[in-house]
This record gives sequence, C-alpha cells and structure tokens, in this order.
Amino acid sequence: MKNGVLFFLIGFNICYAQTDWVKWNAVEISYELPSIEIRNFKIDNGNVGSTLLTGAVKTYHVLISDIDGDNCPFFPSCSEFFIQSVKSTNVLAGILMFADRFTRDTNFFKNRAQYPFHSSGKLYDPAVNYTLKFNNINHIPYDQIVKD
Amino acid sequence: MKKYLIYIVVLSSYVLAQDDLKRQFDYADKLHSNSLFYEAITEYKRLQFFDEGSTYSYQTNYRMGLCYKAGAKLDDAVKYFSLAEKFARTDEESFDTKTQVIRVNILRKTTGRALKLLDDLESDSSFTSKIDEINYWRGWAYMFADDWENAALAFGKINPSHELKRKCENVLNEKYSITFAKIISYILPGAGQFYMGNYFSGLLSLGWNVLCGFLTVDSILDDRIFDGLTLGSLLWLRFYRGNIQNAEKFAIQKNFEIANETLRYLQNEYVGLKP
Amino acid sequence: MKGCKRNPFSAFFFILTLFSNLLLAQTNSSQIDFFSPQNRLKFGDYLFREQDYLRAINEYQEYLKIANNDTARFKFAFALAEMGRETEALDNYKGLFFSSPLNEGARLEFYKINFQQGDFVRFRDLCTEKIYLPENSDLIIQKLNRFSYLLDDNLLPDSAAFVDVFDQGEKEQVLNFYMRKKFPPYKSPLTAAVLSAIIPGAGKIYTGNYGDGITAFLLTGILSFLAYDNFKADHDFRGWLFTGLAVMFYSGNVYGSVASTQIYNVGIKFHFENEVKIYLNEKKYFLNKYDFLNR
Repeated sequence: MKNGVLFFLIGFNICYAQTDWVKWNAVEISYELPSIEIRNFKIDNGNVGSTLLTGAVKTYHVLISDIDGDNCPFFPSCSEFFIQSVKSTNVLAGILMFADRFTRDTNFFKNRAQYPFHSSGKLYDPAVNYTLKFNNINHIPYDQIVKD
Repeated sequence: MKKYLIYIVVLSSYVLAQDDLKRQFDYADKLHSNSLFYEAITEYKRLQFFDEGSTYSYQTNYRMGLCYKAGAKLDDAVKYFSLAEKFARTDEESFDTKTQVIRVNILRKTTGRALKLLDDLESDSSFTSKIDEINYWRGWAYMFADDWENAALAFGKINPSHELKRKCENVLNEKYSITFAKIISYILPGAGQFYMGNYFSGLLSLGWNVLCGFLTVDSILDDRIFDGLTLGSLLWLRFYRGNIQNAEKFAIQKNFEIANETLRYLQNEYVGLKP
Repeated sequence: MKGCKRNPFSAFFFILTLFSNLLLAQTNSSQIDFFSPQNRLKFGDYLFREQDYLRAINEYQEYLKIANNDTARFKFAFALAEMGRETEALDNYKGLFFSSPLNEGARLEFYKINFQQGDFVRFRDLCTEKIYLPENSDLIIQKLNRFSYLLDDNLLPDSAAFVDVFDQGEKEQVLNFYMRKKFPPYKSPLTAAVLSAIIPGAGKIYTGNYGDGITAFLLTGILSFLAYDNFKADHDFRGWLFTGLAVMFYSGNVYGSVASTQIYNVGIKFHFENEVKIYLNEKKYFLNKYDFLNR
C-alpha cells in the first residue's frame, strides 16, 4: 500500500434557486373544500342615494337574479357594474355605462383579447375602465388572471 | 508505522469536524422544534454547505421539506423531500420520503399525482409490507378529492370496521343526490330547491316559471307569436334554466357543507396520522 | 519503526502533527466555527449565487459588522435591489462611491435603480446635475437618459440628438421606439363618437371591436323597429317603452365608443412601454456584466 492518504471528501451540492424573499411563519392548511361564494346582501347606508340604489339592486338580486341562474359572463355582474358606475360617476353616466355593458354582454362573439379572466372564471370588466378618465384605465393583458 | 500515524491524524480531524456538524444539526433541529421554520432552513442550508461529505444530506433535506410543509410552501416541500429521497440510505428512509411527497400532494389537492405515486409505491416489491399505510394515504387522497366512496373502499382494505371508513360512509349517506335534484327540477320547476330545503328560492322559481309560462302561452293563443317567442326565449327559458342551475348549485353547496363537517373533524379532532 | 530509521525528520513531523491535533482538541472544542466572519461570507456568497437573497443579506450584514469588504457590500446592495429594497440598496452603493475599486459599478447601479424607480424627471435631473456620475460610463448614462423620455409623457428631444449616443446596431430599434413614441397609433375618441352617432356601432368597429359594434347596431335597430311597430299598432305605452330603451342604448353606444377608444389607446401605450422595458432588460440596462457576482 502506498504512503498516501485517501481523502474521501466528495461533496454533493445539488443547488436549487431559493426564492424565500420574505420571512414566513407556520401556516395551517385548511382541509375544507372551497365553498361556493355567497352573495353579499349588505346595503350601503352612506347616503340616501346609495341606500336607494343598493337597496333596489339587492331586491333585484333576491327576487330575480338569484332565480334566473348565472347568466352574466362578466365579473362584476351587470347589476354590480351598475352600482360601481353610478358610485364612480353619476346616475346619467351610470345608465349609459350600463347600457354599453349590456350591449357587450349581449354580444355572442366576444373579442377574447379584450378581457382578461377573473379567478372566478368570468371575464374581468370593471366599471373603472369606462369612466372616461384616461389615467384611471388599467390595462391588463388578456392572458393574465385577475384575483380579488 | 507512518501509515498508521497518517490514519490517526486524518481520523481525528474527521471526528472533530463531525462533532461540529452534529452541533450545527442539533442547533437547526432546535429551531425546527421551536417552530422557527425559516431560521431552521437557514441553518440546515448552512450545515449542507459545510458538510462536504454529505453526511447529513438526507436529514437536512428531509427536515427542510418538513419546514416548508409547515409553512404551507408545498412546492418547495416536494422539492426537498425528493432531494432527501436521493440520499436515502435505507428502504425505510426511502419509503418515508415517498410518503411525505404523497402527503404534500394530498394537502395541495393534486390528487391525481398522489394516487399515481401511491400506485407506484404499491407496485414496488420493496414495500409489500407497507400496504396498509399505502391504503391509508390512498383513503386520505380520496377524502380530499371529495370522493368518499373510494375513500371508504381504501380504508376498508385496512380494516372492515376502520373508523375512517365509517366516517366516509356517513358522509355518503348524508349527501344529497345532485342528479335527483336536477331531474325533479326538469319535471317541476322549484322542486329541486324544495328537496334541498331552499323553500323561498323554490317558491320564487315556481312562481316565475308559472307566470312566464302563462304569458307565453297567452301571447301565442292571442296570435301574438312574436311576443310569445320573445317571452318564451328571453324570460321563461331563462327562469326554467335558472331553476335547474340553482337545484344543482344548492345540492353542491349542501354536499360541500356535509363533507366539510367531516373534514373539520379530521383536521381538529381526529387523533390518527394526518397528511 | 523501520520508516523512522530511514527518515527521522518525517517521523518527527508526524508525531508533532498528531500531538498538536490532540492539543487543539483539548483546548478548542470546535474546529469549524460556522459563524466566523469568513465562513459567513462564504455561506453568504453561496446563498447569493442561489438567489436566496434574503438569507444572503443576513449573512452579509453580520459579516460587514466586523469586516470591510467592497465585494461583499456590493453584493449586499445588489441583493437588496433585487428584492425591491431600493432605498437600502442605494445607501449601500453610496458607501462604495469613494476610494473603492468598485465605485464605477456602484455608481452605475445607483443610476439603474433610480431609473427603475420610475421618477424619470428626477432621473434626468440627476443626469444633468451629474450627481454621483460614474467617470468612465457617461455613454451608458446618456443612453438611459434617452430611454427615460420613452417612458414618461415629457417632450421628446430632437430625433438626431436622441439616437446619436447609441451604437450602430442599436440605432434602428431605438429610432423605431422614438417614432412610435412621437407618433403613437392612437384612435380619436371624437371620431369614434361621431361615427357611432351616425351609424350605431360604427365607433366600436373603428376601434376593432367588431362584435360589439354589430351587436350595438342590431340592438338599437331592433328596439327602434319595435318602437315604430308598436306606435303604428297604436300600442302607445309599448311604443314609448321601446323608444326609451332605444334612446338609452343608442346613447350608451356613443358613450361606449368613446370609452372603447380610450381603452384602445391605453392598450397601445401599455404595449409600447412593455416593449421598451423588455428591450432594456435584454440589454441589461446597457450595464456591463459583473463576473465577481458569480463567485
């Protein structure tokens, strides 16, 4: 045997890029199955106008919308869109925005590149993009999925 | 003589270095047991970096997998358990890491993947004695996928009177039949919702369908065909379709509630091994 | 001891090594201090290469408390910047501006971060006032300066002055960006409104929404026909109902055409700026690659 020392220092360093860029703590994973979203029936009591508006829309939800099934391909739904439109502009502009939204809803051949998907599986179409305020418009590429 | 002296020198250095690695491992383990998972991962990585002989590769990768699992970073957990598997020294260690990967897949609800891995494990001749454990995790995978029938079958293979088998059968008995709800809704609008206990929705659905049906028929009988067609397609069909959709939706919702009750029990009260 | 007779010096050497090893074992229970400054630096460099920046930052931070190392400080600042902690990154780069061999790179990174923060007016002020300007990289800063005009809404300089700082291979693309910035292919909201007022839906077709345009035309048309038909049949209530609906959808179509044009123009702007940012990323902001970052 020769005078040599055999050093068995084989270092295996299988390296993977780590992306723990934020310190995190333990999180308990829920076993439960995801529940179906239940509609919020809360009425906005900010002022008389918003109370009447949200009250009327929630009544429509209870008596008609919840009975005739899920027909709107958009998120938010047309009635929610109407509430958002009136709140961000005024009643007249809100009605015009709603009419335009209804027309786009009726279009069977929607331009897929016009709307990104929302995480609910519907097409994302918020009222803020239709207020005619250029700087408020948020362009989201159609291949992205929008989460709440 | 020189030869023996060389061996002693090298061996003593090696032994002393191993003490330092052991100390670092114990320190990392202490952080892990104190639930400081992020910090524990840092120390396991430090150990790995200085452990040129890969003595602790299996343990460090395995424990990092556990840390990531505790932090719900399940993709990272799978990565490190898979790495640990490469360094597994015994069949027991290999089986342990494989089942951890399966458990993580169950938690992240990638059931197809979990079942495939379980099938691979079952067909591996090294693990024929572990068939009960394999069926146990198979049952859990099915429970998380809301497939209680197959879950009951899997637990039944371990023991015909297994506690979890009885739980699964209870869920199956309590669940509503979605098909039945839809069929009776086709026959009588609102009936499916009555079956589910949603009486107000059922009454409204029946009311709207009766009203729209009356208006449609009345228009047609009055020779107002265009009005009749418009009412029929835009209103009556809408409410009729909505009635069936709601029957299905409520049935799914109720079944989820039934399943979730059992899943909550499993998460909070069940004392057996969990994913 | 046959070997010892042959070479007494080597025997002496081995015995000395053995005893010193045993002595060290008695006096110092730890051979490797994993938390020594040097080992922290080594581990930090490893984490940096793995892009595990938060952990690398921690190791560098501990190391820099005790030792002073420009490369470590540069990597520390680089990691902070990669994680979006730009203010801290800038502060650490400033620590390398004077009497450091990495001052040129640090100053370039300083300008790159200021560019990435998006306040291009402030960025151009920095360039004009030559604050912490790198001595030998004036051309790079000028290129970034030009690109800042492409990403905000300020007046563009003259085209010749704009492209002259770029290399021959870059000029064509840069000039293309310049022309698209100066003459963006926007559509006119007024044109869309007028078109929709004349023919319902035409304004939407003008912005490429053919389906919406045809639907608006059909919807307004059908409602108008229903209004006319009901008036003709002396069904006044229904006539007024459909008239009201027709007016509502007609007005909505005009409004919607204007909104659709604005959305179209925002899309043009978004895609243009995206292309510019992709180009800058591909060019790595015209900065040189730092080999020491991979060590």
